[in-house]
Amino acid sequence: MARVNPEFAGAVKESKAFNASACMNCGVCSAVCHMGIELLPRKLFRYVLLGIEEKVLANVETIYSCLLCKMCEVNCPASVHIAENVRFLRHYINKKVYQL
Amino acid sequence: MSDRRIGVYICHCGGNISDYVDVEKVRRAVQDEPGVVVAKTAMFTCSDATQQEMVQDIEEQQLDGLVVASCSPKLHLFTFREVAKRAGLNPYQYTQVNVREQCSWTHTDDYAGATAKAIRLVRGGIARTRLTEPLQPIKIDTVPRVLVVGAGIAGMRAAVGLADLGLAVLLIEREPVVGGRVAAWGAMYPHGKNGRQLIARLNEEIKQRENITLFTCAELVEKSGSIGNFNIKIRVGGNSGQGQEIITARVGSIIVATGFDNYQPVAGEYGYGIDGVLTLAEYKELLDSTEGKLFRHGREIKDVVYVYCVGSRQQSGENPNRYCSRYCCNAAVHASIEAVDKNPGLHQYHLFRDMRTYGKYELLYNQAREKGAVFLRFDHQEPPVVEKMADGKLMVKVRDLLTYSEQIDIAADVVVLVTGMVPRDNGSLVDVLKLPLGQDKFFNEIHPKLRPVETVVDGVFICGACQGPKNSSESVASALSAVTQSASILKKGFVELEPLIAQVDPEVCRWCGECTSACPYGAIEQVQYQGRAVARVNEAVCKGCGGCAPLCPAGAIDLKGYTDEQMKSMIDAFLKEIV
Ligand code: SF4
Ligand code: SF4
Ligand code: SF4
Ligand code: SF4
Ligand code: SF4
Repeated sequence: MARVNPEFAGAVKESKAFNASACMNCGVCSAVCHMGIELLPRKLFRYVLLGIEEKVLANVETIYSCLLCKMCEVNCPASVHIAENVRFLRHYINKKVYQL
Repeated sequence: MSDRRIGVYICHCGGNISDYVDVEKVRRAVQDEPGVVVAKTAMFTCSDATQQEMVQDIEEQQLDGLVVASCSPKLHLFTFREVAKRAGLNPYQYTQVNVREQCSWTHTDDYAGATAKAIRLVRGGIARTRLTEPLQPIKIDTVPRVLVVGAGIAGMRAAVGLADLGLAVLLIEREPVVGGRVAAWGAMYPHGKNGRQLIARLNEEIKQRENITLFTCAELVEKSGSIGNFNIKIRVGGNSGQGQEIITARVGSIIVATGFDNYQPVAGEYGYGIDGVLTLAEYKELLDSTEGKLFRHGREIKDVVYVYCVGSRQQSGENPNRYCSRYCCNAAVHASIEAVDKNPGLHQYHLFRDMRTYGKYELLYNQAREKGAVFLRFDHQEPPVVEKMADGKLMVKVRDLLTYSEQIDIAADVVVLVTGMVPRDNGSLVDVLKLPLGQDKFFNEIHPKLRPVETVVDGVFICGACQGPKNSSESVASALSAVTQSASILKKGFVELEPLIAQVDPEVCRWCGECTSACPYGAIEQVQYQGRAVARVNEAVCKGCGGCAPLCPAGAIDLKGYTDEQMKSMIDAFLKEIV
């Protein structure tokens, strides 16, 4: 069970850096990822959009294992800025969790 | 022997027929049948060259009957009727025999059998043709006036369209005011116009046209007659019976535009009944009547959850609505954009089964997402659950297929049930017009693509949302199509109907009434003949379906073009080798 938290979603939206609303859940990104990161863009970005912060924070490791190689991004039919979004999440976590 | 002069043409249809049927053998087998003076085969009987040859044969050989053995009459009945007409032969003295669908296509594994069957069918066709009489189409003068039932956007637009084509219009509306559903709406998509203003403008247009007569609080109570010339009775005014008035009129066609009803959820359906759970129509009312921010019970609305497909696309239940209402996805997305424009920062969650924002509505869908709406997809087997929480807010629990069926809980101030369209309760109108309803209880057109506004009752058309869910522009488009259809009948001044209909011999009929109850079109009425009651077929109403003829115990009914005598002679011809 996960509860939607509009505050978190709001904080993400405020930044304007995060863009994933165009994602249509096709799964191309997961298919082409050579790191085999199944969670990334698709599922994780939905957690962000829905504002389910605890799920995002539970997957910090995955977020840091992405190579930012953009293999997924160039193949995404909806032009989601996947690498940019991952960078944003790292920035958010650095501040929020590690207080960097 | 027969003194008829019949021409028989057997078609190869390329190889479509001749690959599986020995057409030459068929020709040889029938060329000496009584009455046959010409028997030919042709590569394509429908080609211009062969048609020309037929015309020439008919003229030179003085043919008084024509048989074409080819494809199904559905395809070329009218083609060969025209050939006959061009050659001065009565088109009802021609018979089409189907040796393609019925022989070559069905018996690809049996050349000899298919050929033998073709011979018999052609012989049957010749036998029928021997007994044909020249028939004339039934001509009926038309009244240049149209009754439009329902003054919503479709009916109003139809009235204006008809008036501009020079036809008089009787526009009747059950309610005291015109405009129907659209009159209650604010901003609409995609034209950005306001529903109330749209209707006000149409109303002005109607007032400016002298040949439109509008009756509100009016219902159609009786209809008789047929295409081109209906007699109608309209009850106007007073529901209680006081101040009521019956108006009679004659019209040439009838356009039904009675619209739809909003689906009304039952108590408890997705929490309906709990304070804060609204239907889309109720929510739209709130939006359209609010200037500035949206509030409920003095509290600003901050979180909204939409549940799609409520009352549509149900697979089970007592009276499931299996159809998609087609407009509600667009309407909900549009409403959500209006809502966030009023309350910036509003959190909106759309729980859908499939998004059906087709065509340019896709842009609207994008816009909603750009403005922050989040879309979650649920499985209809596991629908969302709506509950009331202790703090007064609503809680919606849903399994989101897009997040791998994770259960997600969303707190909301308002839950909008995106309800679809259901057919209006038109009970008495259905009885009066004898219009067939589809499985979904909306009025049924003859063919959704080929004849989209015509009904099986000639001269009665349907348009707008009474024939199925439609948005306003689709309703108007179908209204205009009904206008065109009506005008094409009424502007000519007369209609021509098929003469292949039933006929009662009053000498033989002894009025038992069997035929009347058998006729699905109500075409048989009782009349007096030499002091006795007998049955009579109303030529304009009879469809020639043949339902009545075999039931008559006195053998008084014949179907023109398919008389008992003709049928018997065909059977004899089929069975020639056996008998
Ligand atoms: S490829 Fe793009 S659209 Fe497809 S799931 Fe991944 S992010 Fe979404
Ligand atoms: S950018 Fe990250 S998620 Fe995308 S393909 Fe590369 S490693 Fe995988
Ligand atoms: S238009 Fe959308 S909400 Fe309406 S029935 Fe169809 S899929 Fe469901
Ligand atoms: S069934 Fe035959 S006999 Fe009876 S009413 Fe009809 S036409 Fe007359
Ligand atoms: S042929 Fe059919 S439509 Fe005509 S009177 Fe008989 S039953 Fe009625």
